[in-house]
Amino acid sequence: MKTLAASTAISTSKFLPGFSAIVLGLTVVLGLGFLQDANNYLHNAAHDGRHSAAFPCH
Amino acid sequence: MADFRKLVAVSLLAGLLGGMLLSLLQHYQTLPLILAAEQFETPSTEHVHDWQPMDGWQRNGFTLLFNGLTGFGFALLISASMYWRDQHGYLYGLGWGLAGYWVFFVAPSLGLPPELPGTDSAELHGRQAWWLFAAVATAMGLFGLFLTKQRWLQIGGAGLLALPHLIGAPHPEVVHALAPEALQQHFVVWTSINNAIFWLTLGVLSGCLLRKVTF
Repeated sequence: MKTLAASTAISTSKFLPGFSAIVLGLTVVLGLGFLQDANNYLHNAAHDGRHSAAFPCH
Repeated sequence: MADFRKLVAVSLLAGLLGGMLLSLLQHYQTLPLILAAEQFETPSTEHVHDWQPMDGWQRNGFTLLFNGLTGFGFALLISASMYWRDQHGYLYGLGWGLAGYWVFFVAPSLGLPPELPGTDSAELHGRQAWWLFAAVATAMGLFGLFLTKQRWLQIGGAGLLALPHLIGAPHPEVVHALAPEALQQHFVVWTSINNAIFWLTLGVLSGCLLRKVTF
């Protein structure tokens, strides 16, 4: 039976697609959760979502 | 990069569906609390001159967009992790969803509980930095604890899980909230429940969709 800890190594061909997906994912999440613009447009549009997802707001 | 496109497609579908579910839950559970808390805010505490979405469909629409896009981003992290480890199916998805909930909601919330509008907090950048630190340390800690075999990495992982909470999140010297305490408590409970449902759904959807894709 395969356990969770069985495969820690990532095959070379799988590294880049997975890494790109993680970089894109983090960019999307951190951009939406953390960016503050001078006019507060982004903050105000994302306001309820940020509060409900427990991102620091205001 | 055909595999990358498949990961994006899986995550987009899982994220949008998860985001829609979360928006529905929030509409009935947390949005009424946010709106109630805003009644306690005076014009001086909010930026009335800035553009903000109008209450109703516009405001809800932006929240739906926010939830769908963050769902997409979170699903990318889940599906890439499963792809790397050759995993698929709802059971693995459930595990990764639980890990995501711990990393991105539970750990940061233990130091910085979800807040209603009008709550005095420490300076924003300090809180954002601690939030990120808590998420990164928890992700590394869970990896060390559950996904490595060496004892010293497992012990180090457990230490990393505790570290952000030993250091502690930045808090103001005097806590002052405009909304009543009961409202705030309701908000913490309901955001915790809604986000748990969201993350577990996101994990299960990602796992099931990954099963349909051949890499």
